Amino acid sequence: MPAATLLAPRSRVTDVTGEPDSIGSCLVAEGRSSVHEVGVGDSDALLAARLAAGDPLALAEVFDRLAPVVYNGALRVLGHDAAAQDVVQDVFVELWSHPGRYDPDAGSLRAYLSMQARHRAVDLVRSEMRRVARQERNSRLEPGQPDPSAYEQVMASEAAAAVRAAVEKLPESQRRIVELAYFKGLTCREAAKAAGIPEGTAKSRLRLALAKLETVLDRQLLESS
Amino acid sequence: MTAAEQRPALPDGLRDRVLAASLRARAAGRPAPAAPQIAPEEAFSRAADAFYGMLGVLAEADWGRPALRGLDVQGLVGHLTGVEEDVHRCLAGDPRVARASHVESTQAAADRQAGRPAAQTRAEWRSAADRTLDLVRAAGDADARVAVHGMRLRLGMLLVIRAFELWIHENDIRQAVGLPPSVPDPSTLSLMTQAAAQLLPHAAAVQDLREPVSVHLVLTGPGGGTWDIPMGHGGPAAASASASVGIVADAVEFCRLVANRAAPEGLDLHITGDRDRAATVLAAASTLALD
Repeated sequence: MPAATLLAPRSRVTDVTGEPDSIGSCLVAEGRSSVHEVGVGDSDALLAARLAAGDPLALAEVFDRLAPVVYNGALRVLGHDAAAQDVVQDVFVELWSHPGRYDPDAGSLRAYLSMQARHRAVDLVRSEMRRVARQERNSRLEPGQPDPSAYEQVMASEAAAAVRAAVEKLPESQRRIVELAYFKGLTCREAAKAAGIPEGTAKSRLRLALAKLETVLDRQLLESS
Repeated sequence: MTAAEQRPALPDGLRDRVLAASLRARAAGRPAPAAPQIAPEEAFSRAADAFYGMLGVLAEADWGRPALRGLDVQGLVGHLTGVEEDVHRCLAGDPRVARASHVESTQAAADRQAGRPAAQTRAEWRSAADRTLDLVRAAGDADARVAVHGMRLRLGMLLVIRAFELWIHENDIRQAVGLPPSVPDPSTLSLMTQAAAQLLPHAAAVQDLREPVSVHLVLTGPGGGTWDIPMGHGGPAAASASASVGIVADAVEFCRLVANRAAPEGLDLHITGDRDRAATVLAAASTLALD
């Protein structure tokens, strides 16, 4: 006779109200036609599904496999160990918190995490550039301070080694406008006036310079990963 | 493996720090995105609505099609009416339904559908399901312990199991008449997977699985989640000290397995650990169903 409920009826009444306790476990391997090994070689789609299901073993597996890529990529751009570690943490916390943002159909998990690391690292560099520019503006309001220019500070910064190299590769006209706009804290109009060029030209050069900087920084990170 | 991956360049402590920060952001076991939480009563109500809606699209001839183990569609709906009637008796405090057989005690309700208009069978079942909901709302306590069909459990768990059964029989009928299968909404499915995970140790006990084993169950897709479940004799301490088994499966497929509507061999399972123990656990899971 048909019936499909959970728990077969017994001669006695079975208490099914107990709560399972949580204990740890580890993953090994097995093989069968419809049964697959979990672990090394897991497809990115399966890893993503396990991450979405809240499987901490999947997180550890992804970390062990790809954290070196993320870390070394960030280190290459930032040149600073602590900052690179922060990038690794940000990237993995983001992956664990929002696993659905990774789409296995769009590319590999490795490429996705590399991209996340690159964005985080470039954001950190930009943030640092803005911070130093602000510092420079503030120091100019305090006469008598013999501090080096913000540009010099950034260029000397270990964390901005990649930026330094990238800026130095810019054509002189573009490098000049970057220095005025970002490191001396001038508005685009002020920078144009200081450089003796029309404001539209200054904007155009600045756009080109920033596009080149991003390309160079992105390439560096991709190469490192 | 690339040069970057071969480089053992990670700073000391970074792994622990990152994993800990991640698990602070989202606790282990919780799916993301999490399905909106609903009460067991709501899960039952949704399953009942889905079942009733499916019945509404059946042609008259469909009601006579063989559905499950000798019952036609109409008889299967009658069986479910009988289940509701036993639940009503349970909620009214009738102790006789505690030990009643899920099949035998509902046979009369299945048999009485013969020769009836389909609309009458459908209306009778809907009325019985609505009566269940009325009684549950009147009881007002999902944690109240009830006993029916050989189970003693919380009322909330009973409602989830009832939702589970409605979904399974809905799909029995869908299969019988050639309709595509249905999947519960993520919120309902989440309650079902939680129930299945919670009941696994009992299934193991029923199957007399003695050897302690720790099962790391990962159910993927909407309504899924991750559980670490101790099984066998000796309790959690013994299980944690024993070898572990990892099972990764699609949440819906696992529910079909638990309902004995799919065999482990037919599922896209990802198993780790001791192969024989994994097979034993999966066999136990499929015995949670009655048929």
